[in-house]
Amino acid sequence: MISIQTDDVDIGSLIIAAKKHGTGAVVVFDGIVRDDDITEMELEAYEDIAIQELEKIAKDATEQFGLLHVDIIHRIGRLTVGENILIIIVAAGHREAAYAGSRFIIEAIKAGVPIWKKELTKDGGRWVPGEHGHGKPKTP
Amino acid sequence: MSVKIRFFARFRELFGADVMTDVVAGTMFTSLITMIAKKNPEGYAAIFDETGAFHEFVILMKNGKRIEIADAAKTVVDGDEIAVFPPVAGG
Repeated sequence: MISIQTDDVDIGSLIIAAKKHGTGAVVVFDGIVRDDDITEMELEAYEDIAIQELEKIAKDATEQFGLLHVDIIHRIGRLTVGENILIIIVAAGHREAAYAGSRFIIEAIKAGVPIWKKELTKDGGRWVPGEHGHGKPKTP
Repeated sequence: MSVKIRFFARFRELFGADVMTDVVAGTMFTSLITMIAKKNPEGYAAIFDETGAFHEFVILMKNGKRIEIADAAKTVVDGDEIAVFPPVAGG
């Protein structure tokens, strides 16, 4: 399941569904709205493109790490502290592949999928700064 | 001919989500975005530096594919969807 949606998901059901024949490990990444002195978080996406990119990331991870199952659910809209933002569920034959595949997916999402977060505070709001891909970071 | 420009995140707040505009054949990406951005000084400063060049962090897409700022001198064609947005911050 690759999805961008406003609704939350039942992670337990997803874990059960991820256990395909040959599964020896399931890794769950659950990104959560952190209490950074904010009231809410607002997320938006360039949905058509973000879905395509999530599907490509899942495919790349599956091929690179021999994964048996991948779910990526990224939520958008307004979320409160403690709510799930991003759920990644990866199943593999062994833990090494499951951990590595999960890490690959979250880093790829952060690097390139067109989704943005705004932290809403009592005084207004601030866009969470992202990394940009033009040019290399300066080294000391 | 008609081109759609989509803005996201902070740029959406400054320009609105979607801008449909009629352009003449041969219009460059840069010219088109400059023309729209100049309607909002704060928005213009968010996208362009004082020399009129794109800020390094600005990301451009044409029909769902990223284009390098160096390619922004290329021309748009009828029906193009151009997206302009700041660095992504999902996850």
